[in-house]
Amino acid sequence: MAASRALGRHPIRIPWLGIYFGLVILYLFFPIAIIALFSFNSSPAISFPIRGFSLRWYREILVSPVFLSALKNSLIVAVVTTAICVFVGTLAALGLTRYNFRFKPLVQSIYVLPVTLPGLLLGLSLLSFFVFLGLKLSLGTVVIGHLVYTLPYFVLVATARLERFDRMLEEAAQDLGCTPWQTFWKVDFPIIAPSIIGAAVIVFALSFDEFLITFFVIGTQSTLPMLVWSMMRMSIDPRVNAISVVLMVASMVLIYVLSKLVDLREIEL
Amino acid sequence: MSPIQVQTEALSKSFGSVRAVESLDLAVEQGEFLTILGPSGCGKTTLLRLIGGFEEPNEGRVFIAGKDVTFVPPHRRPANMVFQRYALFPHLTVAENVGFSLRLRKVHETEIRTRVERMLDLVQLPGFSGRRTHQLSGGQAQRVALARALINEPEVLLLDEPLGALDLKIRQQMQIELKLLHAQLGMTFIYVTHDQEEAMSISDRIVVMNDGRIAQEGSPREIYANPASTYVADFVGHSNLLAARVSGVGPLRVTIMGNEFPVRSREGLHVGQDVSILIRPEALLIASGEATGEGNTLSGEVVDATFKGAFVHYLVRVDKSQLKVQQPIHEGTPTFARGEKVNLAFGSDDVLVLVD
Repeated sequence: MAASRALGRHPIRIPWLGIYFGLVILYLFFPIAIIALFSFNSSPAISFPIRGFSLRWYREILVSPVFLSALKNSLIVAVVTTAICVFVGTLAALGLTRYNFRFKPLVQSIYVLPVTLPGLLLGLSLLSFFVFLGLKLSLGTVVIGHLVYTLPYFVLVATARLERFDRMLEEAAQDLGCTPWQTFWKVDFPIIAPSIIGAAVIVFALSFDEFLITFFVIGTQSTLPMLVWSMMRMSIDPRVNAISVVLMVASMVLIYVLSKLVDLREIEL
Repeated sequence: MSPIQVQTEALSKSFGSVRAVESLDLAVEQGEFLTILGPSGCGKTTLLRLIGGFEEPNEGRVFIAGKDVTFVPPHRRPANMVFQRYALFPHLTVAENVGFSLRLRKVHETEIRTRVERMLDLVQLPGFSGRRTHQLSGGQAQRVALARALINEPEVLLLDEPLGALDLKIRQQMQIELKLLHAQLGMTFIYVTHDQEEAMSISDRIVVMNDGRIAQEGSPREIYANPASTYVADFVGHSNLLAARVSGVGPLRVTIMGNEFPVRSREGLHVGQDVSILIRPEALLIASGEATGEGNTLSGEVVDATFKGAFVHYLVRVDKSQLKVQQPIHEGTPTFARGEKVNLAFGSDDVLVLVD
């Protein structure tokens, strides 16, 4: 090598790493780019060549009552699921990290068990459970289903953060006059809040586009993933492209707003 | 004598089968700078945490200012703690950390601001109000922790190895500052450390702990000059501890490595008793040549010589033992190299007999 360089010859170097990276990016983003492209296509056919630019599909979904009600349902389910998940999950994580009790290892594994279960099985068993209880299928049962599915993720993230929490900070707070309640709100909570918010965003995203469990336990109403699925059953509906782009932009806006609210580097998942 | 500020009565605390503090009685006077000294695991930190309210004892009582606070939680005790690893709140600025307890007590914001400024001046960090805690050096962080604990004007300040994480230079500087601060504020300081030099240089009184009990208490000078046991002698300062046998009482004489010497008198010993003797390195006078047999001298050979600036530290082999010797050096003082034959002279009063 040294000799050839000294002679001024430059061996041709193939940038394998660059090529590999390009392929990964292509694989990840090309399908999304295609969807975005066709969402502006004036023709309903999803094939090249593109006929012309149009906002027709966006206009159609935005005036469609079916779409708007599905969007509303999805938002309701995701917001309620996230709120309950944050409350129950934070308390669970506190209990699991701060206290020793009988069967603690068992409780810990039961908490994360749903992560390992196939969604299909979860949906099916929840459905038979609700039927067994005589519970009417509704958005409420969807929220219950989503909680079973999202809570483990939340608890995992929150316990990981709390395990690393320096308990001496709590002692310092008590020493300076904090009651246990004040200690939590003035010291623990502000310090773990970025992690909690980060985990809450994940839960929101998981719930918002959850399909399998929802499919089994929703009854007569519809959420966005359900709507997209029903639109795709017969043929490829070009409005689906527009819905996808709307959802993508919405989640990017969500991440952007979040990054303005909290320093993303502080989110330790 | 000032009134008693902090008192423990037969205080015991176990963790599982480990007895950290065992039936310990301690009385700390108001305004005293008391240091609890001992190696790690001797129970000193547990004792401090019992006084601060971070642990509940299995037995015994804790009193602060005459009140039984044994089961009073930390936030209602008139004591504040400076923690070893600072424990500053990472989500708050320096000023918010220092003003934390005042804000809890709903003190007016303008008063908080002036008192925080005054505290930061006191710990020599003026202008640090707006800093974030992660921008501070170790020494600065510990000053902030100190200011945060002092702003409440507690009756007792508890310090748990507060300088343990700092460099030697900053540690020594902080020791002096702590001492000055104590003199200025006049509150009771209870300080925990495993560093005997630190304990000697800052305290009014030292409590040496061993296995959850008090091994000895007294002024730094008393403890250094009259250690109650080989444990204390070994732990406090540098020492030469040798096995010896009592060979005569009245006046007291002992046999050390085959030589008989008169030593500092002490009651309750009998001829033939096995004892330990303590000679501090600075009590041994080193000179060249064999022992003359006059006075108290031992012959030996230099094994190692370490130059320390104002002193030379020697290791001298005498018989089968190695003795530490500290020689003060001035202009023209002869020093000795490895392998040289030397003799060590000492006064009888510098030999202390210890019985464990």
